[in-house]
Amino acid sequence: MSANDSTVLSAAEFMLRQALLGATPLVLAGYGELVAQRAGVINVGIEGLMLMGCIAAYAGAVATQSAAMGVAAAIAVGVLFALLFAIVTIWCRADQIVTGTAINLLALGASTTAWGVLRNSSNNTPPPLFEPIVFGQYWLFFFTLALGVAIWVWLRFTRAGLIVQALGDAPDAANAAGVRVRLWRTLIVLGAGACAGLAGSYLSTMRGHSFQINMTAGAGFLVLALVIFGRWTLPGLVLATLLFGALEGLQAYLSALPNATAHVPHQLFEMLPYAATLIALAALTRSRSGPIYLGRSWPEER
Amino acid sequence: MKRAVLDVAAIGGAIALSIVLVAIGLRVAGYDATGVLREWAVSAGGTQADWAQVFNNACPLIFTGLAAGVAFRCGVFNIGAEGQFLLGSAALAAFATRVWPLQGAESPAYVAMALGILCAGIAGAMWAGVAGVLERWRGVPVVLSTILLNFIALLLLGILLEGPLRTGEHKDLVQSDTLTMAYWLPVGGLGTMHAGIFVAVALAVASWLVQARTAFGFELLTTGLNPVAARLAGVPVASRQLAVMLISGALAGIGGGIQLMGVEGHVLTPTSQAYGYMGIAVALLGRLHPAGIVLAAVFFGLLDRGATGVELTYQLPPEIANIVKAACVLMVLVASAYIGRRQLAVRQR
Repeated sequence: MSANDSTVLSAAEFMLRQALLGATPLVLAGYGELVAQRAGVINVGIEGLMLMGCIAAYAGAVATQSAAMGVAAAIAVGVLFALLFAIVTIWCRADQIVTGTAINLLALGASTTAWGVLRNSSNNTPPPLFEPIVFGQYWLFFFTLALGVAIWVWLRFTRAGLIVQALGDAPDAANAAGVRVRLWRTLIVLGAGACAGLAGSYLSTMRGHSFQINMTAGAGFLVLALVIFGRWTLPGLVLATLLFGALEGLQAYLSALPNATAHVPHQLFEMLPYAATLIALAALTRSRSGPIYLGRSWPEER
Repeated sequence: MKRAVLDVAAIGGAIALSIVLVAIGLRVAGYDATGVLREWAVSAGGTQADWAQVFNNACPLIFTGLAAGVAFRCGVFNIGAEGQFLLGSAALAAFATRVWPLQGAESPAYVAMALGILCAGIAGAMWAGVAGVLERWRGVPVVLSTILLNFIALLLLGILLEGPLRTGEHKDLVQSDTLTMAYWLPVGGLGTMHAGIFVAVALAVASWLVQARTAFGFELLTTGLNPVAARLAGVPVASRQLAVMLISGALAGIGGGIQLMGVEGHVLTPTSQAYGYMGIAVALLGRLHPAGIVLAAVFFGLLDRGATGVELTYQLPPEIANIVKAACVLMVLVASAYIGRRQLAVRQR
């Protein structure tokens, strides 16, 4: 093997590792968002839920000096904020998109304030956090893989999977069949909150080892785009995210090259994944436009 | 009329309840809640200088709030005011530092300013137009495309600041040239308040007139309330939605330009001021009504001004204001969902 071959190989490996590292939280949060959207609930507040997961995981780890407790706190806070979203949208029937943006604002304020309080407090010993296990990946990567298979089977082969479909496409029919539409939707949204909180903990206690203000920086918004880009299917979501992750890996590799940024602004590389997602959305046919009742409250107001 | 009374009561209640909730949270976290609230109120509006700052804070929020408000009322979820605002300021900087710098001017040049604002508005409208066109002809939801376009706008601004707009004065700084005197909005009234607030209020009045007094505005409202009914009544729904997107983007872009001329003076590497995102909250708290939006923006300005005092005295991050804002918005959403249904029920009876 010539020296050239091994550089190519290591470049490919570098990009793959980066892609998987970047994809893990997006896919994990995407599971929850995907199931919720299939059930007719679009949660734009997923960005905020992830951000709360970030701060809760780090603060929990600092307070208990246990990384596992941090993850538990992230899940709990994710569920709590999802519960708030569910109460406002599903039970009070306020608009979902609008409520989601308010949740994002709340999360930005709450996480930044909590971070300020945390830094002021006397307890500032750095907590024990997670390290990669295999191939530069953290345990959450493998958990995400397993959960993906489980959710795919659940959606595809169980009665519950059929109910999820009905919640989004024909909630009245589901109701007539004895399904408690609002309760089901609430539970699904809570599950999605747990996923988003867990995905947030990945950013602050696994891939990153601290909290930064607004550290999700739009990752949750990206999840929304990827779910739709993947046409509301689990394999579609994973493929879309890997494609996005590959572009990010490519961007990381290209901008790490010694001469890359001398001629081309590095922002162009960073733009690549977003522009590609936008173009892909535009290029998709309009044939299947997602769950029929997506974003509509039930029962309808009229 | 009754609707307006209910709305005002709901918003007042929501604000009061949010403040109580935050006070309870502070007490639980071990802070002197009443002390924090008193400090907050005093440093928000204690002096004339505070009020000048409050109005300066409110100014960009009125623009982005109106941008979100007009679009949401038409059922178009433009959450891209952030990107449109940034590119508006970039366009104004490009015009004022590269096209017509007016070196050596001693006083404000109003014609040049107006042209600059026009550039800012066009830039914002074009950026929003990308999302509008993608929705109109490719069926890409505006919610998604505007989110992605926000990211792209931020990076685009970075490219502009490191490239064509970069100042030659300081080698180490990544920012645009500072505007010449010709482009600085007159400052006066309460000491440091700039004239942008008057432009903002004028545009609020204009958008109220269009919404409430013109056929075009009526078509926009109908489209928002029930697109199917609007189409059956002969409203060209798709082109109205595209039009409102352009208007919304122009409002946000103008806001970016005004902020540059009134406060910043030069475009910095983009920071997370998040005027665009905050505009959505302002619009919601103002119940999408132009007057409500102006009041909500001033309220947010007060919260932010007060929070700086709280930060000095109690070492709490000023973002604590965002918690109050979000709590208000959520409660107003819940209240208005109930008010809307109750009114509907009364009318049907």
